[in-house]
Amino acid sequence: MVQNKKLNFIVIDDSKLDCFIAEKIIRNTGKCDVIRSFLRASDALEYIRETKPDENAHTIILVDIQMPIMNGFEFVEAFENLPGNVVNNYSVYIISSSINENDLAKVHNYKSIKQFLNKPITSNNLSVLLK
Amino acid sequence: MANGDKIKILYIDDERNNLNGFKATFRFDYTVYLAISADEATQVLKENHGISVILCDQRMPDKTGVQFFEEIRVDYPAPVRILITGYTDIESVIDAVNRGHIFRYIKKPWTDNDVKSAIEEANKFFLTNSMLALRNIELQSAYDELGKFAYSITHDVRGPLLSIIGALELAEGIDDLGEIHELLGMMSESVRKLDEYIKNTHEYYKIKRGVLQFSEIDFNVLLSDIAALFQITGRNNNIRYTAKVNQQGPFSSDEISIKVILNNLMSNAFNYQRKNTEDKWVDVVIDVKDNKAEISVSDNGIGIEESHIDKIFTMFYRATSEENGSGLGLYNVKDALAKLNGTIDVQSKVNEGTTFKVIIPGSSHGTK
Repeated sequence: MVQNKKLNFIVIDDSKLDCFIAEKIIRNTGKCDVIRSFLRASDALEYIRETKPDENAHTIILVDIQMPIMNGFEFVEAFENLPGNVVNNYSVYIISSSINENDLAKVHNYKSIKQFLNKPITSNNLSVLLK
Repeated sequence: MANGDKIKILYIDDERNNLNGFKATFRFDYTVYLAISADEATQVLKENHGISVILCDQRMPDKTGVQFFEEIRVDYPAPVRILITGYTDIESVIDAVNRGHIFRYIKKPWTDNDVKSAIEEANKFFLTNSMLALRNIELQSAYDELGKFAYSITHDVRGPLLSIIGALELAEGIDDLGEIHELLGMMSESVRKLDEYIKNTHEYYKIKRGVLQFSEIDFNVLLSDIAALFQITGRNNNIRYTAKVNQQGPFSSDEISIKVILNNLMSNAFNYQRKNTEDKWVDVVIDVKDNKAEISVSDNGIGIEESHIDKIFTMFYRATSEENGSGLGLYNVKDALAKLNGTIDVQSKVNEGTTFKVIIPGSSHGTK
């Protein structure tokens, strides 16, 4: 489904450095059209809600777990409640420093989460998403 | 032993003469409560806290002493139970002891010394049990916090470390010096965040496990020491700092705790500023009189959303994505204030600012 479409990215992480690293590495793959970073999950959610779904693009969301105010899981819950035609335009990946078993297990409770990726993001683990 | 520290005991007997005789004998040594029936005894226990030993006669018209103890231990498990009985009841006594209803029995007719030694032993048992219960609560909360720490380490310590690792790997492929500098700036922020976490953990430990050491506090000296740490940041970010200390008379308290309180409140006031505001300010007012210190730390920074205000003192709670909070600062403040019997009050409005008001009573230990 990803093929033949433009590929966009949304990075959600409260660490500026992690957003910066993700943006650089994504940019370096040369396969990405637009990258947007959000330090607050609530801002990202608002952006997704307000943006008209683009038929010709698919967006990959990379979201951290532990963030103040709205954490990654809360974001995914709210995201899954958006209309289906919106949700279908996105693929959600968790990217976290967590090695907590509960966090890892929790990932399976959300049908929209494709995979759990370990920080730091590298061109290697990013290439898995781009296949 | 001071009057208030007397062991509180309850004696139950269906004969008024026995009650009066008992009280006459022991009222100098103990605080004695009397009851003529099991019902009256329940009432006494309901109305008086801190009764540590209950003595009850086995033979009563409405129910036996053993039955009474069996019932009363459900609602009042803490007081230690002693049965007073004649030899003829020995079977039921053995049964009751074995089933754990009573600690000891005193055989009739008793001597003053029998009763006294039984009460003293029972009270020791009571104190040990109470202490144990208290320690268990403390232990449980220490374990809970350890769990929170273990979890936070994977994020608050591992997070910045992985950011740095990621940045280093990225830097290997970058030739542009400007980009490298940008990366370095962000890396040093991560390192500072780690350091902040470690300092806060150290403060947590000092407050949590440390013994209070009271000394005379001169708020003028203390505040200018602490303010010196922030004034440089303040000047670099154009934050106007004003302080007013009005200390009338001596004030004794634990200096480490006071420092933790001031340090965290001021650090928050300086850090959580609105970046684009022209006139940024932090204002500290300290009033000390009548052995009471009132500290107010105000800023016109980002403020705290109303829905977060009651959670800001929770361990590892962070109410903002701004800046690098560890989620421990205000928790430590609350902990320190609890040890000093102090109070804290927050007034805050988003995009207008925040004022923390702290009241700390001076130590009654005096100063040496």
